[in-house]
Amino acid sequence: MENFHNIGTSTDWIVMVTYFLAIMLFGTYFGRYTKNTSDFFFGGRRFSWWLITMSIVATGVGSHSFVKYSAKGFEHGFSSSMTYLNDWFFIPFFMFGWLPIIVYSKVRSIPEYFEKRFNPSARFLATILLLFYMIGYIGIGFLTLGKAVIPLLPESFYIFGNIIEITLMRAIIVIAIITGIYITFGGQTAVIFTDLLQGFILLFAGFLLFILGISYVGGGQEFWDLLPLSWKLPLADFNKPSSFNFVGIFWQDAVAGSIGFLFMNQGLLMRFMACKSVNEGRKAATINILFVLPLSAIVVGNAGWLGKAMSVMDPSIVSPSTSPDEIFVVVASIVTSPGIFGFIMAALTAALMSTVDTLINATAAIFVNDVYRPIMKYAKKVYTDDKQKDKEELFAARITSMVITAAGVLSVLAFIQFPTVYEAHGYFHSTLTPPLVVAIFMGVFWKKFTAAGVITTFLGGVVLMILGARFPEVFISPFDHGIEMNPDRPYSYIRAFYNLIVCVGVGVFVTMTTFIQHYIVSVIKKNNNSSTIMLIVSLIASISFLLVIVGSSSFQFIFPIFIIVLVPIIVTYYGKYDEELSTKGLTVYSINEAKQGFKGSKLNEKYGEKVEVKLQLSNHNEDEIMCSKNDLLKLGAAVGDLVYLSDKRKWLGGLKSIHSRFGKSHNEDGIVYLNKDQIDHGLFENDKMLIAEKEM
Amino acid sequence: MDYFSHSWLPYMYLYGIGGIFFFSGVYIVWKTGAIDLNQPHHRTWMKVFFLGYAWFMIVHGLFTILALQ
Repeated sequence: MENFHNIGTSTDWIVMVTYFLAIMLFGTYFGRYTKNTSDFFFGGRRFSWWLITMSIVATGVGSHSFVKYSAKGFEHGFSSSMTYLNDWFFIPFFMFGWLPIIVYSKVRSIPEYFEKRFNPSARFLATILLLFYMIGYIGIGFLTLGKAVIPLLPESFYIFGNIIEITLMRAIIVIAIITGIYITFGGQTAVIFTDLLQGFILLFAGFLLFILGISYVGGGQEFWDLLPLSWKLPLADFNKPSSFNFVGIFWQDAVAGSIGFLFMNQGLLMRFMACKSVNEGRKAATINILFVLPLSAIVVGNAGWLGKAMSVMDPSIVSPSTSPDEIFVVVASIVTSPGIFGFIMAALTAALMSTVDTLINATAAIFVNDVYRPIMKYAKKVYTDDKQKDKEELFAARITSMVITAAGVLSVLAFIQFPTVYEAHGYFHSTLTPPLVVAIFMGVFWKKFTAAGVITTFLGGVVLMILGARFPEVFISPFDHGIEMNPDRPYSYIRAFYNLIVCVGVGVFVTMTTFIQHYIVSVIKKNNNSSTIMLIVSLIASISFLLVIVGSSSFQFIFPIFIIVLVPIIVTYYGKYDEELSTKGLTVYSINEAKQGFKGSKLNEKYGEKVEVKLQLSNHNEDEIMCSKNDLLKLGAAVGDLVYLSDKRKWLGGLKSIHSRFGKSHNEDGIVYLNKDQIDHGLFENDKMLIAEKEM
Repeated sequence: MDYFSHSWLPYMYLYGIGGIFFFSGVYIVWKTGAIDLNQPHHRTWMKVFFLGYAWFMIVHGLFTILALQ
C-alpha cells in the first residue's frame, strides 16, 4: 500500500493556519453567550431549526468523515453512500417518541432518563456504557484527524539538532491540544455557531472538489463511463467481501448505528434539545436526513469515486495501490491548485474537529450530570446560592472536557490496528451500541419493560456479546447471512445483528418472566435466612460476570445463564419498581402527560398566531412576561401558558430569545414587559422588535 | 455477470426489513396517540414520513436502474 508525505505547498499551510485561527476566533466570540451550565451544554434551548440543521452538517459529516467514505468510495464506489441514506427507518420512533420524551421530561443526559424510568442502578450502568461509547467515538475522531493530517506533514523534522519523527500518535496529541482549547472555553453556543459556519463551508468545499474533479477527468459523462459497473451501484454486494458488505452494514449502521445516532448520541441530542421547541427539533431532523445527509454523502465520498475514475483513466496519476485512507488528500492535491487545496484540507480537518468537540462537550455534560452532581449530592455539598453552584459546575465541566480529550487520545490505541477508519468505526459501533440502544428503545416503546429487564440487558447482554466476540464461529456464524469469517477481524459488521438479538432476547425474557421473579423473591423473603441467601446469590452472579470477562474458565458458556437468571432476582429483591409511576411521561404511551409535566399545568391546545411586540423594562421579579389582553387573544394564550420570545430578525436563528410564562395582562397592545434579567439573558436590544409565540 | 446480489437483493432487503422497522414505528406512534391525526400539523408529519420513505426508495431504485443500463 502506497503512503504519502509532504503533500501541499507553503501557500496551503498559510491558508490552513488562517482558517483555523478564524474559526477559533469565531467560536470564542460566541463563547461570550455562555452564562450558565444550561447555555454551556444546551445553548439555552433557543435556536431555530435551520440553524441546528446546518450546525449538524459539520457534526454528521465530521463523524462519518471524508477520510473513511472516500476510502470506501475508492474501493467500492457509490455504495460508500449507504450510511448516509439509511437513517429514515427509525424517524417515526425518534420524532414522536424519544425527542418529546427527552425534552418534556427535562432530562439532561441519557443516564438520567434511566434513573427516572427505572432506578439509580440502571443509571449507573448506563453512565459507564455511555462514557465508554463517547470516549471511543472521540478516539475514532482523533484517529481520522491524524490520518487526514499525516500525508500533509514531512516524515520528520529537525529541532535543536534532534530529528523528531512525525508519527500518527504524535500528530494526534498535537491535534487534541488544539481541539481542546476552544471547546473548553466556548461551550455549546460556541460549538453550534462554529459548526454552523463550517456546515456551509464543508458543503461548498466538497462540491468544489467534485466539480474540479469531474472537470479533471473530462466531464460528467466521462466520469460515469470510467467507473466500472459495480462502482456505480448504490448498494454494496449482499454478503461479500467481509470488509464491506451490504447486510453487515445494514445491521451495523442502518439499525444499530441509526438508533445509536438518533437515540444515544448525546452530542446530537443536545443539538436537538437546543432547538426552541420539539417541533423545531423535528424539522431539523427531517431536513437533515432527507436532504442534507444525501448531499453530505456526495461531499464525503466523491474524492474516492474520482480517485477510482482517475486510476482507471491513468494509473500513473492515481495508483490503484494508493492507501484508501489517504485517497481524499491525494485526489484533492491533484485536482486543485495551491491555496484551494489548503482551503479544502482546512475545511476537512476543521469539520472533524467539530465532531470531536461536540462529543467532548456532550461527554462533559454526562460526567457533570451523572457523576459530579450525584457525588456532590451524596457528599451533601452546600452552595450559598444557584450562581455559586453554576460557577462550580461550569468549572467542573471545563476540567472534565480536558480530561476527556486526554482519554479520547488514549482510546485511539484500540482502533489503530484496523486497516481503515471505516472498519474501526464499524467494529466499534457493532460492539458498543447494542446494549444501550436496546435498553433505550425498549424503555421508551415497551411499557412492561422492567428495571430487572434493563439491568439484565446491560449485564447479560454484555457477557453474551463478549462470548460472541471470543467464539464468533459458534455464536455469530448462525446470523452471518453467508458472510465469510475473516479470522483477523471476525464479522466486523454483522456482529451487530447477533449483539442486538442477544440484548433484545435477554430483555424480553427477563420482562416476560417477571411474575416468576416476584414469586421467587416472595419465597426468599419469607425465609429467615433471606439476607444470607441473597448474599450468596449476589456472589454467584458477580463471580460469574467476572469469570466471563476474564475468560479463564472452561465453563464460561454456562455463566451467562447464571447472570440472566440471578440478576433479575437480585434487582427485584433489593430494588423497588412501580410500573405506573416509572412510566408516567417517560414512554411513548404518555407523551401528553410528559408535556403537561413540562408545563406544570393543564395544556392549552388552542391555536394562535405570532404577535409582534416592543419591549418595555419592568421591575417585576417573577420569570414572567406581560402582554396585553388583545395580544393574548391573538396568541391563543392564557395566563400561565409557556411563551417563546425572540428578536424579530429571523437570520439570528433564535440567538436572541428567551422562554418564559405569560403573567398578568395589561391594556397596551403591542407592548411586552420584561425584567432586567430577562432582557440580559435574551440579549434583547431596546430598539428592536420582538416576536412572541405561545409554546404550549 | 449477474449483479442481482449487488443490486436488487440488497434493495429488497433494505426496504423490506427496513420497512418493517419503519411501518412498526408509524403504527406505534399512531396507536399510542403520540401522533394525533386530529391535529393538522401532525397530519402533515404523517405525510412527511411516507414521502420520506418513498424518496429514499426512488433515489436507490433510480441509481440501480441507471447503473445496470
